This record gives sequence, C-alpha cells and structure tokens, in this order.
Amino acid sequence: MMKILFERTGGFMGRKISLHLNLDDLPSDQAGTLKHLLDEVDFLNLEEDKSASLYARDAFHYLVRVETEKIRHSVHVTDLSMPAALRPLIEELSRLARTKNSQ
Amino acid sequence: MHAHCSILCITPPHILREIARNGTPAQQEVAQRTLLTSASLQAKRSSMGGRLAASLRAIVVGGKDRTVYDAKNGTSLPGVKVRGEGDPASLDPAVNEAYDGSGITYDLYLNAFGRNSIDNNGLKLNSTVHYQKGYDNAFWDGEQMVYGDGDEDLPVSERLFNRFTKSLDVIAHELTHGVTQYEANLNYFAQPGALNESMSDVFGSLVKQYQRAQIADAADWIIGEGLFTENVNGVGIRSMKAPGTAYDDPVLGKDPQPGHMRDYVNTIEDNGGVHINSGIPNHAFYVVARELGGFAWEKAGAIWYKALTDKLQSTSSFTDAANLTFQAATELYGSGSLEEQAVKTGWTEVGIDIGVPSENEGCFTSVMRAIGFIK
Repeated sequence: MMKILFERTGGFMGRKISLHLNLDDLPSDQAGTLKHLLDEVDFLNLEEDKSASLYARDAFHYLVRVETEKIRHSVHVTDLSMPAALRPLIEELSRLARTKNSQ
Repeated sequence: MHAHCSILCITPPHILREIARNGTPAQQEVAQRTLLTSASLQAKRSSMGGRLAASLRAIVVGGKDRTVYDAKNGTSLPGVKVRGEGDPASLDPAVNEAYDGSGITYDLYLNAFGRNSIDNNGLKLNSTVHYQKGYDNAFWDGEQMVYGDGDEDLPVSERLFNRFTKSLDVIAHELTHGVTQYEANLNYFAQPGALNESMSDVFGSLVKQYQRAQIADAADWIIGEGLFTENVNGVGIRSMKAPGTAYDDPVLGKDPQPGHMRDYVNTIEDNGGVHINSGIPNHAFYVVARELGGFAWEKAGAIWYKALTDKLQSTSSFTDAANLTFQAATELYGSGSLEEQAVKTGWTEVGIDIGVPSENEGCFTSVMRAIGFIK
C-alpha cells in the first residue's frame, strides 16, 4: 500500500488545491511513473521542511506526504526552496491536481 | 530609505541640477540619484506637488532599466535575456507585457510619487517569463518578478488561467512587493501580511487606472482582470470595490475575500490568509478613493504611499494602518481636511475606527489567533 497526499497553497490567488492518491487504485503506468519519481528523489530521505526565501511573496507552498504500511514522511517546500531533484515529482502532482480540480 | 554619503549631500539643488546636465557621465549619475533621493524625501514631507514631479521627470536620464528573461519553461532564474531597455519589441507577447508593464509601473511611481524604481535608487527591473510548465502564478522572489503561463499544458477545455503577464495589475502588484520590501517591509503573516498584499493590490490597481487615465468612479477595481479563461465564471481574482464577488465558479468556488472586519478569516493557510483578509484594507482604500474622486493616485494614492514609506512598520496591524493613513492625510492635507475625513470614512466602512489604540500582537499571538485558538 502506498498513499500520496499533495497540497499546494499560497500563490497570487491564495487558492488551495489538493490531491489524495492511493497508488493501488491508479492505472499501472501512472502508479509506475509516480513511484519512479519518488525513487529518483529518494523521497523518504528528503529533509522535511525547507524554509522559503525571506522576501519571496506570492510563491506557492507545497506539501507532499507519502504513507506506506511502515512509514509516513512529509516534505514542505516552496517554489524557491525546492530541491531541483524534487521538481519533476511536484510538477507531476501539480498537473494531476490541476486536472482533477478543473474537472 | 537610501542616502548618498558624499559631498553631493550638502550641495545645493541648483548646482546638482547643473552637474546632472553638464557633468561627466559618472558625475551626472551621482547628481541625478542625489536629486532624486532628496526630492523623494521632500515629496514625502509635502503634498506631492506636480511641479516637483515635473522637475523629476526632467532630470531622470536612464532611470528606467528593464530586462526581460525567458526561463524557457524551466525554473532557473533569471533565465536567458530576451529584451533589454530600449530594445525593439519581441514577437513574444509575454516578453512585451512584462517589459511594458514594469515600465508603466515605474512611470506611476516616478510621476506620482517621485520614486525612482523599487528601491528609490534606480534598481533594475528584472522580469522572467515562461517560468516552469503549467505554472498558474506570478511571484516576487526578493529580487525580481517571475511569471508563469497559466494552464497552457492542459487541454483548452480544462484551462482556468491565462498567462500571468496578461494582467497589468499583476505586474504592478509583484513590483510593489519589492517597494514594500524596501520600505515598511511588512511581515508576511496574518494582518501585516494582508497589508503587504493589499499594498500590492492598491498600487496594482492604481497603475492600471494610470495607464487608462481613469478617474476612481470609472475604474473597475478588479485585480487580475484577464487572468481567467472563458471556462471560468469570474471577472478577476479580487474585487476592491466589492470583495468576495470577483468570481463564483463551479470549479474555483466562490471568491473568499471579506470586505469588513466582522468577516475576518482566521486561518493558518496562505500565511494566515494574507490573500483573503487583504480584502478589508483593499476596500478601505477603494472607499477613500471613491470619496475623494478624481484620479485615485493623486490623493488616496499619495496618502497610502506616505503611510507605506514613512509610517508603517513590519508588524503593523489593520488598526495601525488606519491610524497611520489618517496621520498621513493630516500631514499632507491638514487637520480637518476633506482628505482626512475620507480616510476616516474608508476605515469606518470596513469596521475599523480611527484613534483606537493598536494591539500589536507578537508572532505567537498572531499564530494562535490565525488557527482559532484564541479569539
């Protein structure tokens, strides 16, 4: 079992979008893509909270939480504090959340 | 606030003007900056006379220095330079919008308030367009403006947002975050954060009105006009005239902004609701501008600018802002003036009385209030 919670808050509009995924319920290619992106960034070993630039205004804040039977790990980042290796995962989750929220 | 520590500080203005016209290029630059700084300080102490603004326009040579970069859908900032100051227009509309938008914003700050760029010292105006892919946002990173292209990566029928340079007030909003950073430096949480956001909306709207030569009654007071695609039922992101009415859409929901203190939203999200509760000071400004009539940047804008640059502090609350804009109106236009009365009316209409002592909260109290732990 693997679940992903994704939340994006802040931004110029201050609007929150979110996504709850159970990888067991996703088509295998989509689940595989997400698992690959999590592995690529070694997600479970990422620092949990990377603070934003002191003067950044209107940037997005992101929360990604991954849960398995054994472990639960959350990472908070902003557009400016995000490690480059995490960006493909955030972009994919953002796309899925925006698609879900536009339907 | 910036000062030049040189002999030019004590040089009479008429000699500085001569140096600005006839000195070597380096002397001209220093003299122009010194004149701008002292003129700006004078402007803050006076009523922003048109003569001063005209003399400032005459001496500023090369004060506006814009560069637009292209992130090419990546996230490295600033990206590849695509247009510099004075370069011909690009074939890319986002590049031209960022260039023209930062230019008209610079012009309003200079012509109405005697301010030379973000830091009042000629700071370069750097913008990056095409940030990331499917990035429905714009932000100020502490040094420059950054714009995404909206939902360009989704099918047309699913897109909610256009590119963020499309709206002039968004550009002016982001640039104003820079001005605030160099002036009151309002904390980005709870009420100081909402004031920070409101200042950006106020000057964002004023730039749009300035470009259109609109008086207060003719303006739409909408922030983010043109950002939504035709799939959205809304006119923009926020309404200063009627907070909470900018959009009401099956996907986006309803505009959550309050326009009165009785509807203040306590939340931990969005840095304590900085984009939500900004509706309250936004509406106060709108009422002041409505009461005074004419071009909103001339009086209401001058009062707010004086408060932002001379009076507000990083921890200022809404009550502080009410009292300090009232003070600014008194200093600019006199005790018992119509302008002073208009400021009082503006804050009263949003449920804030002038003259009530401020309860400046510490960070801990602000957080506790934001999450609803205390009332």
